[in-house]
Amino acid sequence: MVALVGLVVGVLAGIFLEPSVPDSLQPYLPIAVVAALDAVFGGLRAYLDGIFDDKVFVVSFVSNVLIAGLIVYLGDQLGVGGQLSTGVIVVLGIRIFSNVAAIRRHVFHA
Amino acid sequence: MTTPPPRHYDDLLTQVLGGALDPDYRVTASRRGGAAPGRRTTVVVTLAAFGVLLGVSALQTERDRPAQLAERAQLVAEIHSRQGRLASLHTQLTSLQEGVAAQQVRLATEIDGERSLDSRLSELTTVAGATAVSGPGVKITVADAKGSGSGIGGVVRDSDLQLLANGLWEAGAEAVSIGGERLTSLSSIRFAGRAITVNYRSLTPPYVIEAVGDPDTLAARFLQTEAGGVWLSLKANYGIGFNVETASDLTLPAEPQSRLLYARMAGGR
Repeated sequence: MVALVGLVVGVLAGIFLEPSVPDSLQPYLPIAVVAALDAVFGGLRAYLDGIFDDKVFVVSFVSNVLIAGLIVYLGDQLGVGGQLSTGVIVVLGIRIFSNVAAIRRHVFHA
Repeated sequence: MTTPPPRHYDDLLTQVLGGALDPDYRVTASRRGGAAPGRRTTVVVTLAAFGVLLGVSALQTERDRPAQLAERAQLVAEIHSRQGRLASLHTQLTSLQEGVAAQQVRLATEIDGERSLDSRLSELTTVAGATAVSGPGVKITVADAKGSGSGIGGVVRDSDLQLLANGLWEAGAEAVSIGGERLTSLSSIRFAGRAITVNYRSLTPPYVIEAVGDPDTLAARFLQTEAGGVWLSLKANYGIGFNVETASDLTLPAEPQSRLLYARMAGGR
């Protein structure tokens, strides 16, 4: 419950405080969001599995965001940024889907 | 020192599909042997950070939208205007092609007209004596009567040659020359002193008259004209030389100084 409050507070802060994102980082924001989404769903699933660990969650969150951004940055430098970000989004999307499926099994017991 | 357990590597797809949950969760859980003690602050902070990410990127997307929409609208408008321009260019192309076709037709008729003018011109220059001509015809040789130095009747006169030339024209000759001088509408046959001049050039007997025309009929028709009759009687009565023969290939020169000084073509083209 407290975690949910933290999420809501973060969203509101992001919207109303409008922290300025440097122009050079702006292209990587959507990819970072998708990577973070993957880490969050992974954490939720682990929580429902009863094996949640806050350290693992923080590390996976930060590393996911950084690695996704790094891959796309590397792709941009190599001239295949669009294709690489598509690949990253496909992989993360598959992970999110299977995690959400596991969560659904926990919640609905089906 | 314990040897690490042998690692098992899956291929990429299996990894992606099977390893959706971070394996570290299981590793730490098995090491710890149960659920972790709740340290909520870090989790809340991390989730707040995630929330900030979400909020910022949503805001950004929202902010970029009007610009993107405007850009898109501008592109659409440009596409429409370009399409309109393309259509008008197509129309122009069609009309230009029609113009080209019309001009080609005109050119063809012009060429036809020019060709007929050319043939008419060559026909007219032939008739007018402006160009040399060749062809079959008759060759008439006339001479003063032998020993006619005293008698006036035995000498060929200018009027006799005029009569002869007119008779040839009448008989259907297309070109006539006397002593190599082409006869045209401006030619003259005159006495000058004791010699006959044609085109102001003096000739000496015998006089050779060449006429281009139908070789089968020209001689016969000439002899049937008044001029032919007169010449036959001149030959019979005065002993004047008069010899008509058919020639298969005559070449008549052009009249060198045929220049119209006053006459102009009527209608003026």
